[in-house]
Amino acid sequence: MVVATRQTDSSISSGRMLDEDKITKALNFASSLGAEYAEIRLVSETTNTASLKDGKLERAIPGQEVGVTMRILADGAWGVHSTSDISSIVQQVESTFRLAKAVAARRSPSQTAVGLAEVPIIQDEIHWKSAKDTRDTDLDKRIELMLAIDNEAKDDSRIVSTATGWSDEHIHTELMTSEGMNRVWSFQRSLINGMVTARDGDDVVSYRMRHGGEGGLEVIESCDLGEMGRNAKVSALRLLSAERAPSGKMPLVADRDLTGVYIHEALGHPCEADLVAAGDSCLEGRLGQTIGSEICTVVDDPTLRGGYGCYPIDDEGVDPRPKNLIVNGVLTEYLNHRETAQRYDLEPNGGARAQDGLHHPLVRMSNTIIQGGTHQDLDELIEDIEYGIYACGSRGGQVDTGRGSFQFAAQEAWIIENGSLSRPVKDVSVSGMTLQILKDVDGLTRDAHLAAPGFCGKGQTVPVGDGGPLMRIREALVG
Amino acid sequence: MIPDDAVERLLESAQAIGNACDKANVQQWEVYATQGYGHSLEIEAGRISMASGGGEGGFGIRVVEDGRYGYAHLVDPSSASRAVEQALNIAKRSPSIEGFELPADNPANKVGGMKDKAILDMGPEDLLEQGDQVLTRVAELDPRAIAVGGGIGVGAGAGAIVTSSGIQEGGIHTSHGLGIHVSIDEDDQLTSSYEGESSRSILKDLTSSVDKAVHWSQATREKIPGGETEDCPILMTSDGFSRLFSVVVPAAIKGERLARGESFWSGRMNQNVIADHLSLVDDGLMEGGMASGSRDDEGVPSRTQTLVESGRLTGELWSTRDAAKLVAEGKVSSAQSTGSASRGGHTSPPICGCSDLTLSSSANTMSRERLIEEMDDGYVIHSVMGAHTANPTSGDFSVTTSTILRVEGGQVIGSLSQAGLSGNMAKALAGRVVLGDSHKRKGSYSTGSMHVPDILLMDGLRINPA
Repeated sequence: MVVATRQTDSSISSGRMLDEDKITKALNFASSLGAEYAEIRLVSETTNTASLKDGKLERAIPGQEVGVTMRILADGAWGVHSTSDISSIVQQVESTFRLAKAVAARRSPSQTAVGLAEVPIIQDEIHWKSAKDTRDTDLDKRIELMLAIDNEAKDDSRIVSTATGWSDEHIHTELMTSEGMNRVWSFQRSLINGMVTARDGDDVVSYRMRHGGEGGLEVIESCDLGEMGRNAKVSALRLLSAERAPSGKMPLVADRDLTGVYIHEALGHPCEADLVAAGDSCLEGRLGQTIGSEICTVVDDPTLRGGYGCYPIDDEGVDPRPKNLIVNGVLTEYLNHRETAQRYDLEPNGGARAQDGLHHPLVRMSNTIIQGGTHQDLDELIEDIEYGIYACGSRGGQVDTGRGSFQFAAQEAWIIENGSLSRPVKDVSVSGMTLQILKDVDGLTRDAHLAAPGFCGKGQTVPVGDGGPLMRIREALVG
Repeated sequence: MIPDDAVERLLESAQAIGNACDKANVQQWEVYATQGYGHSLEIEAGRISMASGGGEGGFGIRVVEDGRYGYAHLVDPSSASRAVEQALNIAKRSPSIEGFELPADNPANKVGGMKDKAILDMGPEDLLEQGDQVLTRVAELDPRAIAVGGGIGVGAGAGAIVTSSGIQEGGIHTSHGLGIHVSIDEDDQLTSSYEGESSRSILKDLTSSVDKAVHWSQATREKIPGGETEDCPILMTSDGFSRLFSVVVPAAIKGERLARGESFWSGRMNQNVIADHLSLVDDGLMEGGMASGSRDDEGVPSRTQTLVESGRLTGELWSTRDAAKLVAEGKVSSAQSTGSASRGGHTSPPICGCSDLTLSSSANTMSRERLIEEMDDGYVIHSVMGAHTANPTSGDFSVTTSTILRVEGGQVIGSLSQAGLSGNMAKALAGRVVLGDSHKRKGSYSTGSMHVPDILLMDGLRINPA
């Protein structure tokens, strides 16, 4: 196994919380019991959340949470122990080892034992320093920035309420393993959001907006918050008079938000190698096959600084790298962690993420983006559509990875008629089958970038980024 | 699984944090404490893939000064003074709400069924044996079926609340949950179903969820071509409907949302809002209820409250602060806590939410088979994808299902591969509705615990076959 030692990347360090001597002894003890591998990972999160309701402070919560998780691999099976009591973790080695052995004893001869792909063993610290550290931001500043949205979102009698929210976090992680890995990393994320509710008689609608990314206060300050508030107000008022969307199969053009959600749900999840291994992915056995239109190239990139889903090191201590999931329509790579990399004889690509210090890592997406195409703009994408839908803003989505079916919902939409946007409609959702609809992508604008930040649930919730250009799908099931 | 003196230790630590508040001359304070322990296992690709255990907990401090509140949370009680100072600093920036005070100590009823000793006595080996039973059952029912995912967990949690107004209460609750995702992949056709349930007491029959998962994986294999988009009757099983219901209805009955015009039932108090044989009751005192307890999450005694009676909106949910705030803003003339404060844990201050919410009917209820006959032509839907994208403000939803059966002439004639389901929850419940007499799904969502049976919705829903 390759062993590499790197120097600390930055001058800042927030200090070790794990007692390295005690942890080393605990890991050595696990090895002496017969463990093939053991790790202890601590995550300390310094968080600040706040919200305004109708421009008044509703809540502000500073927090400091710590969790630590030990994983032990014995006889090809995992035992795990998690706790918020850091000092107690070293006492749990033997019981966690026994747990792993008990799971292993249940494995039938036909079932694959867990193994881990080799990775460079690194001892270092990497701290991504924010231009404006979240921990130096005071509550008054957070309120001022939330008010910048709120003040522009409500000057209409039909707006019945506004809500704005804030979240920033400083994440500090320490990982030590029985292989000698000893890594410490930290970074920050910031997010601002808002929701406008409008009412006209019995019709009541809401519109949400969100901005954020990896980094500190500078992430929020880079956004024109007033414009965000004005746009939300205009969209909410437009929804009040929008008619219900038509149902049926028709051409669909998606904005960046929806393109991102689509590619996250329809392609990203089925590309997660732990789901492939579980027999729960429609992309099992399809590496190297053409599964999409040749204009589709999709990358999941945890190194895309500023994206809400990026991280300096994955939660197994592996350096992350961009993954080319589809290149010109051909499935080229799964997202993996060490276990699935070993199982499928792949190079580990740093896709292991855990929600926090109390959860074990799963294979997850980071910043998933479909690359730009050749169309100039929206006008060019819709010019030859006789009747279709242009859908904008995400209300979220979901996928059944095994079947390969997915659904996502738009915040607002327009009918396209004879090559032009005609009238607004609401309650648009789009569904389809991954293996069909990827082939039906027949137009992409040139400019691809990340859209609004999001959260992905897979038993655990992690922040993600996704996006792309404006995308045209030849035929989608709407409504 | 949990130390015998877990509650006493929590109360002691909470009181120590309260003492730090007193030392800082805080006018009113509340300390909410939790400590949880548990074991779980994960199922993947037809085997147990991992077993785990552990515990977590912490403390939340709410301070109130002249109607202003601040909040902070911590794990280690020794850092209480810093957290108290943070909470006080936030309180200074908060708006003062006239009349807002922390709840007084009023007597509360005990609620049974919160703790099952059989769960407390369970160890990891017991759980692994249950995992074996589940996997064996899947294989017995259908050799083609594989449990591709899922898990089993047991937990015991100690909780305590101590306030400057004299509330000092703690207790232990237990839980046992199972989730199972079964798929049948044969002849280039994959069908699957996810089922789950949870309970405060030990789940005596783990096989019922497994049986259901295998049944729906089998029942959806006979595919027929999808027809045209149509507005038609829909029978949603308890499992499918509760997910959608949990996103839309609990939000609509919050007092603050009703008062601000943010609910589709705003301005409809004492008017008929759903079919006149339907009632909606929020029961914070349900024996063994997943969201019940003697007090809510800010110490107010729990209660049973009828929110919709025979179709008429009669009640709403309030937490202490929301009630004071909306009165102070002049949005309502009077309001007080309904014992409806809930929180996600020690990291959040209380917000308004429902407890164990039950939808019932005074009309005749029917078996699933009778409901299908009653429907005549339409669809049965067992699960939906994208329930979380439903709009709780308007009640509109547009979701997708792959667990859908076509009914013609009161008979199931086959399954569609996929279809869209759209409509408006408020309008659908206000139309012609028949409830089933079926077993209600046992489980809870982030918005509370839902108790809804199978439901036949005759009006206002649209099916859009793929």
